[in-house]
Amino acid sequence: MKKYWIIITNEIQRQLTYRVNAITYRLGQIIELIALVIIWTIIFKKVDVINGYTQKEMITYVVLGWFAYFFTSNYNLEGFVARDIQLGRLSNFITKPISYLKHITVLAIGRVSIATLTAIVIQFFLIAIFYDRIIISASWTNITVIMFMLILGFFLKLFLSIIVGFLAFWTVEVDGLNYSFNILVKFLSGGYMPLGLISAGVASVSLYFPFAYTYFVPIQLYLGKISLVEGLRGLGIEVLWLVFLYGIIKIAWRFGLKKYESVGI
Amino acid sequence: MSIIKVKNLKKSYEYYKKQPGLLSSLKSLFYREKLYAEALKGINLEINEGELIGFLGPNGAGKTTTLKILSGILHPTEGNVSVLDYEPWKREEGYQKQFALVMGQKNQLWWDLPAMESFMLNKEIYGVSDEDFKRSLDELVEVLDIKDILDVQVRKLSLGQRMKCELVAALLHNPKILFLDEPTIGLDVVAQKSIRDFIKKYNETHKTTIILTSHYMEDIKELCKRVVIIDHGKIIYDGQLEELIKQYAPYKLLTITFNSDGVKKEDVAKYGEVNEFEQYKVSIKVYRNQVKNVASEILHSSFPVDDILIDEVEIQEVIRKIFYKK
Repeated sequence: MKKYWIIITNEIQRQLTYRVNAITYRLGQIIELIALVIIWTIIFKKVDVINGYTQKEMITYVVLGWFAYFFTSNYNLEGFVARDIQLGRLSNFITKPISYLKHITVLAIGRVSIATLTAIVIQFFLIAIFYDRIIISASWTNITVIMFMLILGFFLKLFLSIIVGFLAFWTVEVDGLNYSFNILVKFLSGGYMPLGLISAGVASVSLYFPFAYTYFVPIQLYLGKISLVEGLRGLGIEVLWLVFLYGIIKIAWRFGLKKYESVGI
Repeated sequence: MSIIKVKNLKKSYEYYKKQPGLLSSLKSLFYREKLYAEALKGINLEINEGELIGFLGPNGAGKTTTLKILSGILHPTEGNVSVLDYEPWKREEGYQKQFALVMGQKNQLWWDLPAMESFMLNKEIYGVSDEDFKRSLDELVEVLDIKDILDVQVRKLSLGQRMKCELVAALLHNPKILFLDEPTIGLDVVAQKSIRDFIKKYNETHKTTIILTSHYMEDIKELCKRVVIIDHGKIIYDGQLEELIKQYAPYKLLTITFNSDGVKKEDVAKYGEVNEFEQYKVSIKVYRNQVKNVASEILHSSFPVDDILIDEVEIQEVIRKIFYKK
């Protein structure tokens, strides 16, 4: 469908008009990464292994996890959806022969494209810089599975964001919720520390939830802490979650739109 | 043949009551009294193909609500609506491709990109062929004189230029019906006029049915033969603009200029209600059937008359009177 392709290219053009913004975002993200590397380096001065993680594994987790996190990020799309609803921009879509759900999905792809490209470039630099402090794996099968895991992970986070954004149908105040939602997702995905660090139990339970597939699980696979079979099973679990979340989106959309139609918002 | 049929259309909104104060704010966390506001209280309307109709009414009268129902954004609470034989809120593609909605206070153009990008997107959304797109675009760009701004970011355009681009975006698929919600709001006089001229011309050349809401009487006066006045969710007038003036303004305005010493107010007051008074210029409201006689009486009197004019009352005043009476 050409209309959805134009939405992607328009959004990429829009992102390009905000080049400086994209670069300054990256700056903060790199500082965050450096902070994490420093913390773990200090901690590992006293011990060699923490709950099964060596220093090298931990730095690898942080450096590659950085990429996983930003690859799957949609940069506050829930706020975008919420504003579409609250400002009545939704009317632009429901009066035209175009699907809002498809629109917002392709818009999200266009929206992250520039950020993702720069993240890929920066990731190569990071690998070069930390070359002797991280584990370099050359298992292309694993890397392929990881890429699929992250692509599905992108859509998992996207669907979750759309659902959270749809709450704007019922409540005006969504900013606080969005903020907490993002931190919770980061925590549950292993963005603050490997979930295995908390306990082995938490790590194995996390395999059944969608969040860990955007950070923790792909890096576990990279580090060889889970097997390829477990990784493939993970892809299946992701697909199941996508189907489930899509169902929720459809239901929320139907009820939300009823509210929009009756109230006019 | 009427292409828009509205029968007994009602729409009520839910809202919540809250007493002022912190304590009642806390209370309202647990219990809120639900209330209903009736935005439309049974509207009947028939609109023929090619008509250019003006919806008039104060803020909150129900104009925008009506447009939102006709364009399928809102579900009515009660009543029947058929537009081009479709029920708007079913949002069928067949209907959506035949109308356009432009809201003066909202935009559909991509803010950070040149308007052309939005036009191209609409071309695909509405499935307009390359030839039709080119023909419509060339025509609209020519008439609206916006050739130079097509590749400028929308955010950098003036409000008037932006509204012109909004109109182009809405008309590229050559809709049969155009809903315009306050298209001239916030524009300067020159821009208002050029938008107005365009709407008028477009209606004439394309026979597009246009429904327009506006606060500016000038818009209605220039554009619409037929006006629908809505107040408190009811139609209180539906008919020709000229008839409206006759019906609600039983008098005309007599404006007389004097020379030499001018006149005193009490001297002219006996001819009718004095509307404005200056020593050398007076305007008096005189009943329609008497206006000729009064004018000749004044001309033949001893007043130092320099000039005399007979005008219709400003429509603005007519409308103000209608709403005031309610």
